[in-house]
Amino acid sequence: MKANTILPGAGGIPPEAQQVLNQIEEKKSKYRRNMIMAFVVLIIFMVTTLIVLGLDFKFMAKWLPFILAGSGYTFLVAFLAITLACILAVVGALGRLSTNPIFNSIATSYVSLIRGTPLLVQVYMWYLALPQIGKALEEFGIPGIQRLLTLPAVPAGILALGVCYGAYMTETVRAGIQSIKIGQTEAAKALGMTSTQTMKRVIFPQALRVIIPPVSNEFIAMIKDSSLVSLMGVWELSYRAIKVGRRHFQSLEMLIMVAFIYWIMCMILQFVQEKIERHMARGDRRIS
Amino acid sequence: MIKNSTPMVKITNVHKVFGGTLHVLCGIDLEVNKGETVVILGASGSGKSTLLRCINFLEEPTAGTIEVDGIAINAGENDKTRENHILDIRKKTGMCFQSFNLFPHMTVLENIIEGPVTVLGQKKKKAIVYAEELLDWVGLMEKRDEHPSRLSGGQQQRVAIARSLAMKPKVMLFDEPTSALDPELVGEVVDVMERLAKEGMTIIAVTHEMHFARDVADRVLIMDGGNWIEEGTPEKIFNNPEHKRTRQFLAHIL
Repeated sequence: MKANTILPGAGGIPPEAQQVLNQIEEKKSKYRRNMIMAFVVLIIFMVTTLIVLGLDFKFMAKWLPFILAGSGYTFLVAFLAITLACILAVVGALGRLSTNPIFNSIATSYVSLIRGTPLLVQVYMWYLALPQIGKALEEFGIPGIQRLLTLPAVPAGILALGVCYGAYMTETVRAGIQSIKIGQTEAAKALGMTSTQTMKRVIFPQALRVIIPPVSNEFIAMIKDSSLVSLMGVWELSYRAIKVGRRHFQSLEMLIMVAFIYWIMCMILQFVQEKIERHMARGDRRIS
Repeated sequence: MIKNSTPMVKITNVHKVFGGTLHVLCGIDLEVNKGETVVILGASGSGKSTLLRCINFLEEPTAGTIEVDGIAINAGENDKTRENHILDIRKKTGMCFQSFNLFPHMTVLENIIEGPVTVLGQKKKKAIVYAEELLDWVGLMEKRDEHPSRLSGGQQQRVAIARSLAMKPKVMLFDEPTSALDPELVGEVVDVMERLAKEGMTIIAVTHEMHFARDVADRVLIMDGGNWIEEGTPEKIFNNPEHKRTRQFLAHIL
């Protein structure tokens, strides 16, 4: 990393080479300095804007704990929904790649239907329309089905988000699997591995590397889309902020605050993503 | 020439048709005895690689029979035991590819023990002992814990050979193992192949490496248009080729 580490076997770096190395090092540190400065200016700009707007910081501090209490729901919904989405995505991708016509057509229509309809409509489907389906089925002669299909808000939200993101991620996982060269499958098969072993030991671990960045993207988007459960009256982050803001006619403060909370949560996720990516890239030759 | 009465590999009347129209193999027969080293030569597109890939069913033959170490599979038959027979044949045959195809997410050692542990269900410890022996044999002990991307092409191919050998195969198939290598790296791979032949491994190799064909092979076969046009000892093929196409081909590559 550092340009002036002594190279093995080098008797000494000639002065003109040292000069070039110094220039490179100088360029790098200049770049770092400018980068930091740019960020500092941006932050100052944002803070000044907030002050100029005359925000009521006391009011914000007072309501912060109440708003934050909603983040539990946000995390719960997002985490369970992304878990469900990941499972659906892997199964869906295997279906999309399957030569079994039943499995393949189910996976293909799942992706097509879910990607082709608004998430908002899907949320209401799970929450409001599903009980009606249950009622019809009950009249058809399946006892107890209506109760089973009448979902409380949080489970309905988790299902809606999980199923929806699962469809998008199916395509991500499928593309990741297909990005692995055929030679890898052939080498695994030549060793005598079954299709399942080949997928588990050789293809999927490599596909995972390709899949992680877009899946993190989905996860970050999901954190924010989890606010859709507020449509069903769940007291999560944004719902609380909007309620409080409206009641005291200080929506600006509440919205800015809740935006910041989301932002910080997403920054943490991004940090985790970078860690995972770095871990998966070990053993890789890469552009430094 | 070492000869044994029962052939290790027996290919009978194998056809391969791609996409319904492209007739790549046209009724190939081949018997390879235990311990024999056979080199297949031929212009590109003549079907050499396809034949090799049919032996371990990376390519499904359209017609004919493949038999490896007593396990025979007919192209047409489709019963429940077929999949298992294919897996059995693959366990008995090692294959080296032109592009090495090492598993990039595993270290060299992990690559080599993958087959024995996952396919044969061996204990990891036991597999490592043999893997280290093999690594020593191909001269790459010091690369044990490196990932393949840190290795040169020649080193990668030697690891690939070790990976195949870890399965203790009865037959080794080489599909142009040196074609993707820089000229100065060819020698180290050919050297490993040569030692393997000397130790009595049954080898079927598609290669343009003339030293290997001339000095190591017991038998050389020339393929053209999906069938053999000539076969014989290396001396006969190189010094006294009968077929006009053979002479043309040899003139091109020598």
